[in-house]
Amino acid sequence: MKQLVEIVLAIIFALVLFAAFSYISVYLIQAINVFSLLVIYYAASKDEIHGACLGAVCGLIQDSFSLGVFGVAGIAKTVMGFIAGFVAKRINVVPASRNFVFVFIMITLELILWASLYAFVYSQGFNTGRGVIFIQPLITALIGSVLFPLIRKTIKSMNTNRI
Amino acid sequence: MPLFWQKNKSFIILAILIVIQLILISVQTPLGEQDNYFERAVFVLFSPLQHGIVSFAQGIGNIWKGYFNLRKAHIENEEIKKELFFLTQENNLLKNALKNYKTEKEIMDLLQKLNQNILNARVVGIDASNYHKSVIINKGSLDGIAKNMVILDKSGNLVGRIVGPISLKEARVQLITDNECGVSVFTQREKALGILKGDGKGGCKLDYILSTDQNVFEGDSLKTSGFDGIFPPGIAVGEIAAISHTGELFKEIKVRPHFEFRNLDQLAVIMVESKDLY
Repeated sequence: MKQLVEIVLAIIFALVLFAAFSYISVYLIQAINVFSLLVIYYAASKDEIHGACLGAVCGLIQDSFSLGVFGVAGIAKTVMGFIAGFVAKRINVVPASRNFVFVFIMITLELILWASLYAFVYSQGFNTGRGVIFIQPLITALIGSVLFPLIRKTIKSMNTNRI
Repeated sequence: MPLFWQKNKSFIILAILIVIQLILISVQTPLGEQDNYFERAVFVLFSPLQHGIVSFAQGIGNIWKGYFNLRKAHIENEEIKKELFFLTQENNLLKNALKNYKTEKEIMDLLQKLNQNILNARVVGIDASNYHKSVIINKGSLDGIAKNMVILDKSGNLVGRIVGPISLKEARVQLITDNECGVSVFTQREKALGILKGDGKGGCKLDYILSTDQNVFEGDSLKTSGFDGIFPPGIAVGEIAAISHTGELFKEIKVRPHFEFRNLDQLAVIMVESKDLY
């Protein structure tokens, strides 16, 4: 139950960030993929099943905010969440440099998957937002490599205080 | 079986999740036109949150403004802006309708219908996959919003139409720059008819103008013809930006829409359903 509440709160927080970014500038939501950051963090700290499930939920929420076929971002995030959890269980991705490369690869993979599915479903290319979308993996990975250690540290210190 | 499940549990769950979403995609026929119940449910569940966040941000912004400005002057300014907004809409509708309707009675009937039914709306969300496809506004079924209602910008230029899903206080607007949006238009100068389609990148193109047609020129203004049964006739849409001859049956015509995405904060919803206009 506690875990479910945590997930729901995390999704709401991601949604708050998403709405705030879209309010500030359209380019921000193309440069920073907040939902994917949440999925990667959760998948890395749990496992591939949790990653895939949260990926499906976050992807479908993202789909509900866009006009067109419902489920394209859902599939891309499901697969990415699964792979993120699968890899993180076998390779230690906590060190800063590995964390950066890990997030970068996962976001790139998701972008490729999403673009391929989009091209398949719509039979056309997607809007790159003047190329901003191509720097999404880099920007999101940079944010992830700063944010993830901070979250881990905060959780660790909270647990230590409790003990 | 339990051993197989234990061994491949994660892959089976992944496969189930993908299959469910593939089914979701495949049931959406025709392409993206009908929103399924699941999509509607997710939209209804999460769009109020997005609306709330943006309204909160706007609220904070208003408090900030109100604090530093003289309160009375600010209120008066808001009133004048609101009045100007409706007057601009009315003026544009009057101008457009006068050009396209023959009898005074027809003009009066249509204008009465339109002017009594303009609702002011604000953009509270943009499309997550492509911001040139759709936006979400802060008016929904509680305000009387229905599918296919026409959306104009502050200056009365065509922006798009309401598409589903519509929640109690939010609705999605398909922009004319969406590549799945089609609007029947004519050129103002020579009345050449064509279909305006979005290019998904912020621009539009005019389709079905024959290569032999000599009545279409760069800079020509485009207005809605009303033949699509959705958009009322005479609404300003955009202007022809470039014409190229590809040697094929139809010309390749690029159109620059009048509305500007960055200025899409305040919109006008014409609260008359297309079926009631014709």
